Amino acid sequence: MTIIARRLAGHLARGLVMILVVATISFFIVNNIPGDPMAARYEKLIEQGMSPEAAAQGVKVLYGFLPTGTLWEQYTDYMSGLVRLDLGVSVSRPGTPVLDVLGEATKWTVLPVLAGTLLSFLVGIVLGVYAAIKRTGKLGDALAISGSLLHGIPQYVLAMLLVVIFATLIPILPADGPVDILFEPGFNAGYIGSLVEHAVLPVATYALSAYGGWILAMKSSVVTVLGDDFILAAELRGMKRSIIFRYIARNAILPLFTILALSLGLLLGGAVFIEKIFNYPGLGLLLINSINDRDYALMGGAFLLITVAVIVANIVADLFYTVIDPRVRSGEEAR
Amino acid sequence: MKRLAAAVTLLGLATVTACSGGSTTQSGSGGGGGLFTTIDVNRPGLDAAAPPNPYNPKGNSFSAFNAMKIGWVKNHLTDPNQALPGIAESWEIAPDNSAITLKLQPNAKWSDGQPVTTEDVRMSIGIAYTQGSTAFSVTPGAAGAAAEVTVVDDKTLKITQNMDNPSPKFARGVLDTTVLPSHVWKDVLPADFWDKLKTARGEGAEAEKAREEITALGQKVLAFAPAKDVSAGPFVLERVNPGEALLVKNKHFYNAANVAPAQVKFLNFTGNEQIWNYLTAGKLDHSGFVAAPTDVMNRIKQAPGNEVIKGYSPVAVGMGFNQSKKPYDNVHVRRGLAYLINRDEVTKVASPEGGTPATTTTGIHQKAAPAWIGDTVGQLEPYKPDPAKAEEEFKQAGLTKKDGKWTLSDGSPWKVSMTAPSGFSDWISAQENIKSQLIKNGVDAEVVTVADYPLYLEELAAGKYDVGFWLMALGPAPYDIYQRLYGASNGWTNVAGKVTHAAPGKGGNWMGGPEEIEVEGIGKINPGELTAKLNTATAEEAKPIMTQLAKAANQDLPVIQLWDYVNNQFVSNSRFTGWPHDDEILRLGTGVLASGVWIQLGMVKSKQ
Amino acid sequence: MSATLLPETTSTSAAMRRNFWRGVWRVMRRKPSRMAGVVILAGFILMAAFGPLFYPDHLPSDPDSISRPPSWEHWFGTDPQGRDVLTLVITGSRYVLLSAGVTALITVVVGTAIGLFSGFRRGRWDTVLMRITDMKLTIPSLPLLLVLATVWKFGNPLQMGLVLGLFGWGGVARAVRAQTLSLRERGFIEAARGLGLSTRHIIGKELLPSMAPYIAMNMLIAVTGAVYAQVGLFFLGVLPYESDNWGVMLNLAVFQAGAMITPNALGYLLAPLLAILLLTLGIVLVVDAMDEIFNPRLREE
Repeated sequence: MTIIARRLAGHLARGLVMILVVATISFFIVNNIPGDPMAARYEKLIEQGMSPEAAAQGVKVLYGFLPTGTLWEQYTDYMSGLVRLDLGVSVSRPGTPVLDVLGEATKWTVLPVLAGTLLSFLVGIVLGVYAAIKRTGKLGDALAISGSLLHGIPQYVLAMLLVVIFATLIPILPADGPVDILFEPGFNAGYIGSLVEHAVLPVATYALSAYGGWILAMKSSVVTVLGDDFILAAELRGMKRSIIFRYIARNAILPLFTILALSLGLLLGGAVFIEKIFNYPGLGLLLINSINDRDYALMGGAFLLITVAVIVANIVADLFYTVIDPRVRSGEEAR
Repeated sequence: MKRLAAAVTLLGLATVTACSGGSTTQSGSGGGGGLFTTIDVNRPGLDAAAPPNPYNPKGNSFSAFNAMKIGWVKNHLTDPNQALPGIAESWEIAPDNSAITLKLQPNAKWSDGQPVTTEDVRMSIGIAYTQGSTAFSVTPGAAGAAAEVTVVDDKTLKITQNMDNPSPKFARGVLDTTVLPSHVWKDVLPADFWDKLKTARGEGAEAEKAREEITALGQKVLAFAPAKDVSAGPFVLERVNPGEALLVKNKHFYNAANVAPAQVKFLNFTGNEQIWNYLTAGKLDHSGFVAAPTDVMNRIKQAPGNEVIKGYSPVAVGMGFNQSKKPYDNVHVRRGLAYLINRDEVTKVASPEGGTPATTTTGIHQKAAPAWIGDTVGQLEPYKPDPAKAEEEFKQAGLTKKDGKWTLSDGSPWKVSMTAPSGFSDWISAQENIKSQLIKNGVDAEVVTVADYPLYLEELAAGKYDVGFWLMALGPAPYDIYQRLYGASNGWTNVAGKVTHAAPGKGGNWMGGPEEIEVEGIGKINPGELTAKLNTATAEEAKPIMTQLAKAANQDLPVIQLWDYVNNQFVSNSRFTGWPHDDEILRLGTGVLASGVWIQLGMVKSKQ
Repeated sequence: MSATLLPETTSTSAAMRRNFWRGVWRVMRRKPSRMAGVVILAGFILMAAFGPLFYPDHLPSDPDSISRPPSWEHWFGTDPQGRDVLTLVITGSRYVLLSAGVTALITVVVGTAIGLFSGFRRGRWDTVLMRITDMKLTIPSLPLLLVLATVWKFGNPLQMGLVLGLFGWGGVARAVRAQTLSLRERGFIEAARGLGLSTRHIIGKELLPSMAPYIAMNMLIAVTGAVYAQVGLFFLGVLPYESDNWGVMLNLAVFQAGAMITPNALGYLLAPLLAILLLTLGIVLVVDAMDEIFNPRLREE
């Protein structure tokens, strides 16, 4: 137990350092982004029919929200704000704290990512065991190849194919946002039904693009376990096949949980494509839009949040590894 | 493990129920006939957390739906002051434009039942000052600024213009102002606001300080978040999620009896392709202008009930030259290029539905040009495609042709490098097409894209590009039209009627044109100063000035006008009818959603 | 793998090599799909190397036939400029494969160097390098690329490859280090030292060859990753484009031609998608073959 506590403390310390480093990097990148958002907004207002003077004044007021002072002052302000969880003021949403905007977006990213990943994990593991056991057969081979292929196909390719098929050619599923506004939000059948209906395609994309990876991982994990001595011993002792299978499955699945934790963290950042294609208002879409709006505070905040998710996932994965791996538990270094 | 399996099973079940839930959704939204579905084309990306504040860039305030203006200014070719009634039932404009007297709608009420008063309008004008508006500006000496706001009685207001620097579009500026409920917004402006405003209009350090305070108030206004939407418009905001916004009918609206839809749904979008999708699916009852390729346009028209209403949009696009770069400083090179580029072909490829090829370069939209400059249009050089003339011009510019390729006078290679922001698909298409046309005629060319519009504008203003596309002819006011060619982008800055000229490459002067142009039949003119004069000129005074400027633009070609935009309004006749086809009311005021105006005035009828 | 663990004389290693190629041939022959993979990969490389030579620098466009559906003349239709889509896929392949190649090269060279160094030296250098690697693996690369794309225009394929390569070496470095450590644990390096072999010999002649297949597989996987990332960035439209490229095609197909709405432009969308799928398939099949050649556990019992 003390070892776990010590590891956790070490991870947290390193995680904090990482967050500081990332916050610094993102601050300086974001502050060096070229482009004149004021000019863009001015042109937009003019195009809508506003007179040049009025547009110029309006833009001046809006961009009064930008922080002032030297770069160093801005940096210290930003970092001290960070400690208080104050990520600054968003220019495209004046008056709304960046944290609130991020919170809202995170909600829409986490749910489908979670659903899609768990679904693919389950399917992938079952098929992976099968592919490992039948790895000499035609079917096992086909499973492995299809797994590699799905693993290799970019998410956006899958997403576009799904949209073309299910939203354009045979329009049975929506690909426009997270829920129909006509339903009163709350715990009622209509609202939840609409939520789920809108989540089907994004979730399916996550699941489809991830399950190939799980098949491969599970297959190789099972193959490794199959070669272990204790299985051989069990076979020699004449144990029932179903019991042996349980041994195999349990021992093979454990390392996959660490990958699961890691992939959940990474997916938060990788949701960009899926959210863009399905018009799903999560963190990834927020990041793209904030870049287009040159909303510096929001951009930095979204990037930071995504990184924090990965860091937390890493810590969780490592702790999990500590708990399940007896060698680590007994005090020996894992690597 | 077991718990995990249970969770996944539950999720699976949820997915199954979802599919059955879907059908009820569709029948639910179709029923009743009272739901009006549309989008706000000005604002991609709905934000559930944004307040119903019309000045907030993401605010859930939809002009003409749950936000009212004093009047809805029309898209008239020459008269900027024509409007449809909004919060004001009627108004009188003094013949010399020195004042406008507003009469408010006698029955206008806010959605919480309170009447709309002159105090609401006065406070809204105060708020407009903090944001900057044409009529309500604290900039000293700004043209067309209001001098005094007087409450005559509880339904009448008089607003006078500061006649030191009067503008013919003063009334337009007043009418195009959003009205807010003072009982909700009362604490945003301090009690001494009007005194402060008076100080700000003066001169000296104290006035400067007051102006800064008012600008600071502007930020308070932007960030103000009313707890609940209080609207004087035909609808009031019910709720928003990141994908859609729902508005319901405001039963206190003065013309509620004639408002057809019971509910309005705004759909979210982040790119044009999503709007195309909604339109081809027949989901939208109305959508404002959105650029679409021919094939997509045909699909949209094929959807049952869909109709495309074409109107006039005072916007054109031109190919602008950076005249500080060689060889574009030579007018013959610009003319030669104009003779080489077939504008019909460019428009056909780039904007077949959303634009008409420019007849020639005048600086004015072809539809408005006859009204302003009359017969002069016919006398201008049309720059019809003519390789022989182009060759002549290039030779005159000292360019030489080697192995079928044009080179600069010193023999070094010449490549026309055009830049466009990525995402502006029609501009990129046009440049790709121009590139093909030029290469066919022995002029090497390339298209470079930059990441996005903010970057494009920054680098353009810094003079980094040789050739870039530029929006022009932004009317209807004459000054607004020509300041795109002879304004800050070409060196002339107009502050309070005083014109200064910045050298090429400085102060945003990327066009770098000459300060004076020798125009055939007129003589030497200073186009920037002429343009500045338009700001205070009446329509009749403006016409001769515009004729001179059109001739100058046509002869000197700071830009080659490529196509003039067409205002395509997409409507569906499946659920509602009565769509107007009158050009003047297809585009109404800054950021106004035209369908909201049509609905509130009772033009749109339910189909039942 | 164990065969290469001990120093051999030249003649035995030559025999090994012959055996190795025989093994490769056997693995290949057993599943024709693997041959197909090799053929596909070779086809793509040839296409990228020589395909663009058959076309002029400026592809002919026809304003009278823009966004046409597939026909005999244009197998995948035409783009909104009236150019042949298939031609665009071929000319665009050079950018994609060139940058993917650069990425793979950098990934493998940097990753292997750092991994080897770290595992071989151990101690303080190891700790520092692995901390850096951890940090690199933690920062999500796609969002960082999105933000970075606004500052740095990695327009040409070499720059693009460089950027993606610098983002991708972390995984390889870790894996190579682990392999080095495991070889070390088996007392192999000490044995070699005992025989008086130089460090360069140990690394160059003993460690690297035994890891080469593993590294090669990682390289191929890096290629898919690089194709994925660069095409994706262009598809999102965050990068300015200077040359024709599959990602640019996808972007224009969806956001300009409306390929998700009108069947006429579907060819424009599907052609680059199919090219990506085919390339992925080729790589997957080849990796599958390599996996079996080099992983004794997967070899049939």
